[in-house]
Amino acid sequence: MSNRRDFLKQTGVVGAGIALGGVTPAAVGVMAVAAQDATLDFWDTTNDPIKAEVITGLGNDFGEANGVTVSHRGWTLEELQDTLPRVVESNQGPDVAQINNGESLMGPMVRAGQILSLKDYDAQYGWSERFAPSLLARNMYTADGATFGEGELWGLSAESEIVGFFYNKQIFSDAGVSVPTTFAEFETALATLRDAGIPALLLGNLDKFQAIHLFGELQGTSTTREYLDDLIYRRNDKSFDDPSMLFAANKLIEWKEAGYFLDGFDGISSDDAVALFASGAGAILLQGSWATPSVIQGLGAEGAGFFLIPPINEGDTVLHVGGVAIPYGITTNAEDPDTCAAFIDSLVSEASVNAFLESGSLPAGDIPDDKIVAGTVSGDVYTGWNAAVAGDAVGHYLDWAAPGFYDVITGALQEILGGQVTAEEFVAKLQDFYAASFS
Amino acid sequence: MQPPSRNASSAIGASTPAVGASPSPSRSRRTGPTWEPYLYLLPALLMFGFFFAIPIVGGVVLSFTAWNGISWDTATFVGLGNYIDAFQDHRFWVALRHNLILIPYFVILPAVLGLLPAALVHQMKLRGAGIFQAGLFLPYIMPGVLIGVVWRWMLNPVFGPVNKTLKDLGFAHPPSWLSDFTWALPTIGLIGAWAAYGFCYVVFVAGMQKIPKDLYDAARLDGANGWQEFWGVTLPGLKREIAVVLSVNLINALRAFDVIKATTDGGPGDKTSVMALFMMNSAFGSNQAGYGIAIAVILAIVTLLMSLLVLRLFGESDD
Repeated sequence: MSNRRDFLKQTGVVGAGIALGGVTPAAVGVMAVAAQDATLDFWDTTNDPIKAEVITGLGNDFGEANGVTVSHRGWTLEELQDTLPRVVESNQGPDVAQINNGESLMGPMVRAGQILSLKDYDAQYGWSERFAPSLLARNMYTADGATFGEGELWGLSAESEIVGFFYNKQIFSDAGVSVPTTFAEFETALATLRDAGIPALLLGNLDKFQAIHLFGELQGTSTTREYLDDLIYRRNDKSFDDPSMLFAANKLIEWKEAGYFLDGFDGISSDDAVALFASGAGAILLQGSWATPSVIQGLGAEGAGFFLIPPINEGDTVLHVGGVAIPYGITTNAEDPDTCAAFIDSLVSEASVNAFLESGSLPAGDIPDDKIVAGTVSGDVYTGWNAAVAGDAVGHYLDWAAPGFYDVITGALQEILGGQVTAEEFVAKLQDFYAASFS
Repeated sequence: MQPPSRNASSAIGASTPAVGASPSPSRSRRTGPTWEPYLYLLPALLMFGFFFAIPIVGGVVLSFTAWNGISWDTATFVGLGNYIDAFQDHRFWVALRHNLILIPYFVILPAVLGLLPAALVHQMKLRGAGIFQAGLFLPYIMPGVLIGVVWRWMLNPVFGPVNKTLKDLGFAHPPSWLSDFTWALPTIGLIGAWAAYGFCYVVFVAGMQKIPKDLYDAARLDGANGWQEFWGVTLPGLKREIAVVLSVNLINALRAFDVIKATTDGGPGDKTSVMALFMMNSAFGSNQAGYGIAIAVILAIVTLLMSLLVLRLFGESDD
């Protein structure tokens, strides 16, 4: 550890040099080669083999350039959330980690003084100039941790996410269905596929979280930016008792009763649904952009496409579930925050963007036009993402709204899909918890 | 200052000249330093203290605080507030009710399922019982999460073998067992019974082997048939084993967590939510560690009381 501490002190000086001179992170390697045994530990939620290869490769590249051993550990999101704040409190754990947005983790860790503000590094690396303000806001809190969505940057995301619908081109063609451009066309397509005896919409809700995505997508067709931001950032006394929530809840019931979902969708996992779609067992898959590599692996780059949920009226703005992926932050356990910040910056470098794109993942920020290959599923994802960012149409994950809200909304969605509660009862349950959570 | 026990020992020695004149080896050991036995106990006491006593006491203390489980600075004393909140929390009673519903599945059913083959093997002297025994015991030594994952696959409504078989047998729409609001909890219960009955079987077989053969001979001389032997000799002879099985299964029913976490995560809705899951979600999901620990304390007390009740009913009067 003494080697590590010494090294990190040295690179701290180097980091200051970068700040003053605008030296690129690669140059750090030239200045810091002396330390051989230093380690930078980073924890995240990368478990997928394809993505894990990318992220460890990026870590190794940074390590080689900077004379530091970058050690990666992938966790499930739940394990990471449970473990991270507790090991940091014990002065152990990683230097850099993914810290889930909002009240699910970032807020409590900011208030507990367990992560470092990236405000100065933001100025140093110019992140605010590279990423859209509405996306960066998801990684922001005020210095006291009291207000989400404004203040200082506490994490930076290497990837982005957007939820939409993958479709099987062959099945669409056979059934005479084309990519819908309005909500009504979408419902007609679902009915056509169902009538043709094809599982129309694949999702798996045994592990609970996919229904949030579908609910959020439906709600996003009839909401406004102002309402959704205020609700998530807890401004202006917004309530879940809103027409957009009732619309989405009623649509879930309607679609379930219409038989649009795969029979048994509530008893299979999200991964099961991806595997079924990738094996050609259904027409449309509700999923986030993170499923793109698996879809390509199953159906080929040109065998599937991707579209965002279309607006109710042509030209309307739809807020899509998604945003920045879980951001990387620096823990107070980090011996050399400057090196950690350089590492985080390397994850959003051009080389990293290219590595993510090559794997079919969706990197943070706009995707350059020359990287978009028309007619491929990843091309559709990138086009959809760019359009959503350009139109300020990236919404939120609703479980960010309050601590513990994930369990409430996921359980309530299973209840509404199981016919146990009405749309009104569902919305009331959400609002009761939301209102009580900060009272 | 000498310890009282040493003084007492000397006094006895003085009043019995034969012993006093020629100290026995055992007496000479008693006159040694009395802290020696404690040294032998020290490793175990340290382990007990660090891993059992301190966490329990610490847990009880923390249950009187509002603490987010992340930063010690946030811990504030709230007295019995967490306990009052728990008793007023609808989710607490739902979870407790589900634990109680699981008791017949986790406690009675595996005991019955274990007892019947054990009696058959014992009374009919079946060959190959050892292999049978090992096979039955296997689920008990499997990690709960693994059991959950396996059953989750078995019960998958789209490609799982259970529903595929049922469809082949003519059931057009078998339930989605783990996500059906009616079937989810009984399904969890049956998985729990499957996991535990091998343990019951092994305990019962071991218990049956210590029942004196004379009792069976006497019963046969009196004209008892196999069924009467079971009721009159085998079952009464298993009283201690029944107490062990019931109390262990009861503890498993009340602390049920891993299988549920791996299969339903408390769903659909809250239909399979149990105390341990509610405790974990409160402590870690909602960052209300003080509240979660209070639930854990209540769960420990309920478990202790119910275990004592079982032991009182089945375990004491045997002597």
